[in-house]
Amino acid sequence: MNPNHQRHAERAPCLAGFARMQGPALFVFYLLLVLLAGRRTVQAQTGPPSEYQLKAAFLYNFGKFVEWPANAFTNDAAPLVIGLFGGDPFHGDLERLVANQNIRGHPVIVRQISSLSDSKGCHILFVNTPEPIQAAKITNALGNASILTVTENIDHFTESAFMISFVMKDDKVRFEINNEAARSSGLKISGKLLALALKPAK
Amino acid sequence: MFMGLTALAGETAATTNNTDLAQLANMDISELMQLKVSILGPSQTISEAPAAISVVRQEDIKRSGAQNIPEALRLVPGMDVAQLDASQWAVSARGFNDVFANKLLVMQDGRSIYTPLFSGVFWDVQGTMMEDIDRIEVVRGPGATLWGANAVNGVINIITRSAADTQGLLVSGGGGNQERGFGGVRYGGVVNSNVFFRVYGTYENHDATVLADGSNANNSWQMARGGFRADWNPTDDNLLTFQGDGYAGWINQVFGTFNPLNPPTYTTSVQDDMTADGANALGRWTHTFSDTADFKLQGYYDYTGRDAAIFNEQRHTFDLNFQHEFALGDRNHVIWGLGYRLTSDTEVNNPTVSFNPASKTLNLFSAFAQDEIALVKDRLRLTLGSKFEHNDYTGLEVQPGARLSWTPTEHQTFWASISRAVRTPSRAEESITLMQSRQVAPNFFVPVTISGSGAFESEEEIAYEAGYRTEPFKRLSLDLAAFYNDYTDLRSLQQNPGNPTQFVLGNELRGDTYGVEASATWKVEDWWRVQPAYTLLHTDLRARPDGASPPDNTSVAYVEGSSPQNQFSIRSSMDLPHDVTFDLALRYVDKLPTYQVGSYFELNARLGWQITKNLEVALVGQNLLHDHHAEFGPSYINTQNGNKTEIPRSFYGTITWRF
Repeated sequence: MNPNHQRHAERAPCLAGFARMQGPALFVFYLLLVLLAGRRTVQAQTGPPSEYQLKAAFLYNFGKFVEWPANAFTNDAAPLVIGLFGGDPFHGDLERLVANQNIRGHPVIVRQISSLSDSKGCHILFVNTPEPIQAAKITNALGNASILTVTENIDHFTESAFMISFVMKDDKVRFEINNEAARSSGLKISGKLLALALKPAK
Repeated sequence: MFMGLTALAGETAATTNNTDLAQLANMDISELMQLKVSILGPSQTISEAPAAISVVRQEDIKRSGAQNIPEALRLVPGMDVAQLDASQWAVSARGFNDVFANKLLVMQDGRSIYTPLFSGVFWDVQGTMMEDIDRIEVVRGPGATLWGANAVNGVINIITRSAADTQGLLVSGGGGNQERGFGGVRYGGVVNSNVFFRVYGTYENHDATVLADGSNANNSWQMARGGFRADWNPTDDNLLTFQGDGYAGWINQVFGTFNPLNPPTYTTSVQDDMTADGANALGRWTHTFSDTADFKLQGYYDYTGRDAAIFNEQRHTFDLNFQHEFALGDRNHVIWGLGYRLTSDTEVNNPTVSFNPASKTLNLFSAFAQDEIALVKDRLRLTLGSKFEHNDYTGLEVQPGARLSWTPTEHQTFWASISRAVRTPSRAEESITLMQSRQVAPNFFVPVTISGSGAFESEEEIAYEAGYRTEPFKRLSLDLAAFYNDYTDLRSLQQNPGNPTQFVLGNELRGDTYGVEASATWKVEDWWRVQPAYTLLHTDLRARPDGASPPDNTSVAYVEGSSPQNQFSIRSSMDLPHDVTFDLALRYVDKLPTYQVGSYFELNARLGWQITKNLEVALVGQNLLHDHHAEFGPSYINTQNGNKTEIPRSFYGTITWRF
């Protein structure tokens, strides 16, 4: 028992009780702790996902509905790269989600992008809550590269060159698609995804 | 050993989290679209609104166990909600609380639900299927620039879900000791891919509250309600909404009626079985020009009726309004609108409460314009606007406001505002006569009359507000608001110098209020959220120095002592294993000297279990800390022989199926 626990023991009677436990009592206590720890994980499994866990799943799913030009992949087994620019709001969940996943034979990997010049190898680029000025800069820097640009909560989405924007609606994740921007970058978005998208205002 | 266990627990969590994410990864996109995010999830970006705004969402309402709108409003920091008896609530913000509180504007789906009779809300008849409420938006402080008269100390907007979001069959029901039985059925369907609809019906049976000695206050009541909503998208840029509700309630109440033939009290106590009914229908056309421009055209008809021993009214209201918003250049966002409302009532007079004239039709014309200017894009915004209203009592009222918000970083917003708001005279203030008897010595009562006045003016407020919202850490957000309100021409009771038994309503009070509202959301763990809130309110009223005659001295202390100086609450929401949720809400409310209500703590708890995707059960305990406790007292209308009723500890269970 380290001195820290001693101090707690003096202050809090219930902890003092734990500190005095030994033999079978201690075993039962540890068993309870392990059970509780196990139970917490059950909760994680069945509880609703967080906003960004769900958005991560959408981001990965978008890859299944987009056709990149042939030259976007060096070969049939080359990775499909999802770039994250402006920080990682997914807190690593996107990496965990795409681990061992592949899209049409391309293993999916996630890469943090700190400078736009690094984004050239990306197939999907998620831009974390851009400011409008920054947004323009980003889309200019990407030019007509065949990168599916995704963002969220953006004003004037249709006027931006972003292709997909997440929108929260009644605690559900929805998205808008700017198909013109996608087409001009050589990307073909499937009709199924277009049909599921919120209709961007004219 | 301890370290080892912690590490083990952590690892297990991480591994299972992976399976969870893998499950998400393997879901079809249309399945993903059905998933709702946890409200305990990371908070969204801080609201940049330059006002003290709070939103109570469906999930919050459900997890609070609230069975009616006033209970749901207890979730809003800064709101003052007190239950007087089984069917009456006093609801206010920033002071001036009363069963007839008159400084809030309350709307449901764009329909005004406060009555022009006394500028307050009959809370007993307000409601809908609780499961179909999407959110309740509350702005504390004046919202007069956009919404108009009565938005003096706050705007409450109850918004129900769209028909598309309430599809399928939902059956819920339950009961307990206070909520004796309640049930609701809603069915949402599709006519074709452009037309969604829902219909619903509910029934509630509420037990009586008790008197201080624990005896039955004989004020149990029942309410039945039904309604529909249809949303039609004929084309992508047009949305037509039709909705309507009807209700009927049977409410027991003990009224003191004025009886000149019954000395010495001149009062006869009547056990009344009153009825309250209503119906409304609303249509709205929304046309979208672009993602920054649209217009709305809305019209509704609303009927309310009430037949009680001391009050009998039928009221018809027609309302038409138009709103247009668009971006002007790069930096301006303009909203403007026009409105017209006609309200017509018929009162049946009785010796206790009478109106002269007994029937009246009132017209209200309004116009507003507001421009939100981005001084520095996404950083500094100035909102300027004004509402112009013309009413039949005081003519033109101008209510301008200026609001500034500064968002130096993504995680914090400062805001400040100055605005003018008025509370226009109500029908009662112009034309009511109340006969009451006042005790002036032991066993000696004097009949008095309280009369409205055609000279009654609008109450006026200049409000200064400031606020700060921040998210200092990923798991913590804070919301602070402070206000100083300066009021003139507040309602007073003027004693007739020639006849001390006659009182006339006047505008001889003035004064100020100041206060602070602070709230926080702390996500302690992924599965545990804690939300403390604190409200400070100070009210300082005085007779107008230039007043023509001295006001009834009681009214200063009366109004000052009817709202709590301090309120504190803390809510805990837990997502436990096996789809069990557990919520606790502790509240402290300071004393109300006006009604001799002492300060109190109360506790509500809810344990919910989502057994399958379609079936949920819950156990709710309300006001758990006392057998019964008082929260408020009767004001202008004598109920329960002037006694307070007390709210008993209560329990109920619910079961909800969704198909």
